[in-house]
Amino acid sequence: MKKVQFKSNYSQYFFLAPQLLILLIFLYWPIIQTFKDAFTMQDAFGFGSQFAGFDNFLFIFSDPSYFTAFKFTIIYSFVITLITGSIGLLLAVQANKVMHGKSAYKTLLIWPYAIAPAVVGVMANYFFSERYGLLHHLFNNLWGFNWYENVFDAYIYVIIAGSWKQISANFIFFLAGLQAIQKTVIEASIIDCKSNIRRFWTITFPLLMPTTFFLIIINITYAFFDTFGIIDTTTIGAPGSETKTLVYKAYIDGFKGLDLGSAGAQSIMMMIIVLVITIFQFRYIEGKIHYN
Amino acid sequence: MKKLISIFVLLVSFAFTSNSYSKTEIHWWYGNSGFLGDVIIEIANRFNESQDEYMVIPTGKGSYEDNMAATIAAFRAGDQPHYSQVYDAGAAIMVAQVKNGVVIGFEEMAEKYGIDVDADNYIPGIKNFYADGDGKMIGVPFNSSTCLMYANMDILNEVGIEEVPKTYEEFEGMAQKILDAGYIPLLQSHSPWIWTENFFSRHNLLMTDGNNGYDAVPTKTLFADTEAFVYHWTKVKEWYEKGYYGYKGRAWGDNQAPFTNGEAAFWFGSAASFGGMKGVLPNFTTNPIPYWDSVTGGKEYPTFIGGAANWILNGHTEEEYKGLAKFIEFMGSPEMDLYYHNMTGYAAVTKGGIELAETINFYRASPYHKAVGDQLGLEGSTIPGGYRAGNWPQIREVIYENVEPMLNGDITVEKALSNMDKGAAKLLKQFAKTL
Repeated sequence: MKKVQFKSNYSQYFFLAPQLLILLIFLYWPIIQTFKDAFTMQDAFGFGSQFAGFDNFLFIFSDPSYFTAFKFTIIYSFVITLITGSIGLLLAVQANKVMHGKSAYKTLLIWPYAIAPAVVGVMANYFFSERYGLLHHLFNNLWGFNWYENVFDAYIYVIIAGSWKQISANFIFFLAGLQAIQKTVIEASIIDCKSNIRRFWTITFPLLMPTTFFLIIINITYAFFDTFGIIDTTTIGAPGSETKTLVYKAYIDGFKGLDLGSAGAQSIMMMIIVLVITIFQFRYIEGKIHYN
Repeated sequence: MKKLISIFVLLVSFAFTSNSYSKTEIHWWYGNSGFLGDVIIEIANRFNESQDEYMVIPTGKGSYEDNMAATIAAFRAGDQPHYSQVYDAGAAIMVAQVKNGVVIGFEEMAEKYGIDVDADNYIPGIKNFYADGDGKMIGVPFNSSTCLMYANMDILNEVGIEEVPKTYEEFEGMAQKILDAGYIPLLQSHSPWIWTENFFSRHNLLMTDGNNGYDAVPTKTLFADTEAFVYHWTKVKEWYEKGYYGYKGRAWGDNQAPFTNGEAAFWFGSAASFGGMKGVLPNFTTNPIPYWDSVTGGKEYPTFIGGAANWILNGHTEEEYKGLAKFIEFMGSPEMDLYYHNMTGYAAVTKGGIELAETINFYRASPYHKAVGDQLGLEGSTIPGGYRAGNWPQIREVIYENVEPMLNGDITVEKALSNMDKGAAKLLKQFAKTL
């Protein structure tokens, strides 16, 4: 092993400085500020600030709508991960088989990925509008769809709105994963097994596990954090507070309700949740995955 | 050399142009959009044309909530505007900020910079809504509305109803007829504002302890404890189940749209809503909001002022405040007040504006504008003309969160109202800690 030796002891800090500065300003400073907010009680303008201990945390834990948001966020991220992952995989497998016009299919399937969540929400808004929404009318004819008051219907609304765009992301990564599988492995398996479906589940899918694992994390973080714009442009958390994600609730309490203490405490709870999920995934799921 | 000269000439000419624009700038942030936002820009333009010392620069920040959040964020960053529009639900927060030196009260400003319009020039109900505990006016009344009942006269004629209902009892009596003809009898656009806050004022009932927060910092709301309020929502739920009342979610526009399209007979909205309806819906009237005859015994009481006021923010130069004082004076003139009243449907807020309207027989030409003044001008109320309750934006959210499960039958009316009380009490206590 050859070692690179720098003459100065400080030059490395010089090169690191820009990156560290960005981290400091955009990551560590806000985090410190969040902790400060979470443990103080203050009015909207920042006056009357006083140490509050765990009061803000007790406040959110005694709030039933916080648990509703927690429940919804878990359901939402699970369903979105499942739907986008499976549809993305199905489309990728099919697109991988196509011989003619391959790139046209690919481009069309990737396009929605480029659309901002808020725009997706506005589009979904049209589809689910009671006045001129196609899906609203379809579902309404099927079972009397009414998301204004029915929780299940509101779930369907935000799940469709939230999944559509994310299917594209799953599609791209699964397609890339499929194309990375060596042809020889596939050809060898064809000799051993005739069944397409069985071959997929025993050979192709296990080889896609690293991609799947990666996408599960991506989809969960997407449902947790990036769906904010979708919720804000579709149900705004209604009915009740049944379709508020944790991020959306923190936003409403912090910026509309001007209660920074509660919003800060909620942000810290979210940090902890994400930490737990990530540790769990790397500890227990990753161990079962073989990279090559 | 030639190049140098031309650069020099260019620089000099720039210096002169920028010189001629060196008016004192006054920033005014607002939370209206669409047509109402255009009118605000027009007011600023008129002021800027009327003199050449000062320039008011209006900036729209989105909704009321957005503007309030933006103003607070700007203040914390030391970059606040001079003048900002904050809505009724934020009034308690803004009044409480005078002692912290965030907000300069109107009367203090008027004294210091000699505004020719004094607080008594504003009509009492509106003045008191934005005043502190001692009755000193803090916010400067601007767009003052209240909730009104809009009626589609074509539908009423079709089903043979001659008079618009004055009471909820009358409405209940005619709802089936309207429903049978294939129309939605009733819609409304804001459950916390119209059917909570203004339900209490319309029936002369106290909404929170501490005399609506005017005598003491409130600690709880009186939703479940008020028999009439429980009765009202029990009826609303019954109407919803029968189809007399249609709920179209929380969005203001979604509830208004069926009415504007001629599918609903009555809609409760803001006094400032008719601008968008004029020319779209051919035959409608604006009327006072109904009340329960059984609750008030036939008496009518005024509703609270809705809408927003402008608030003077601290931290700018004398010269700029002089300009702002001029602008406040300009906006408080009878002509501008009536202009704004006429354009938007918001109430005239100055005595001068009202007198001017009477002198020129304004209401004969435009009867739409009359209901708001009539309803706000009612007398005989024994409760304060507003409420001083902090964290109110969040309490409105709590109200919404419980109305929906109540309507869909997940929880009973009593449960929903006690949930609202519980949620509100927590938020009120939280606010009291920051005072």
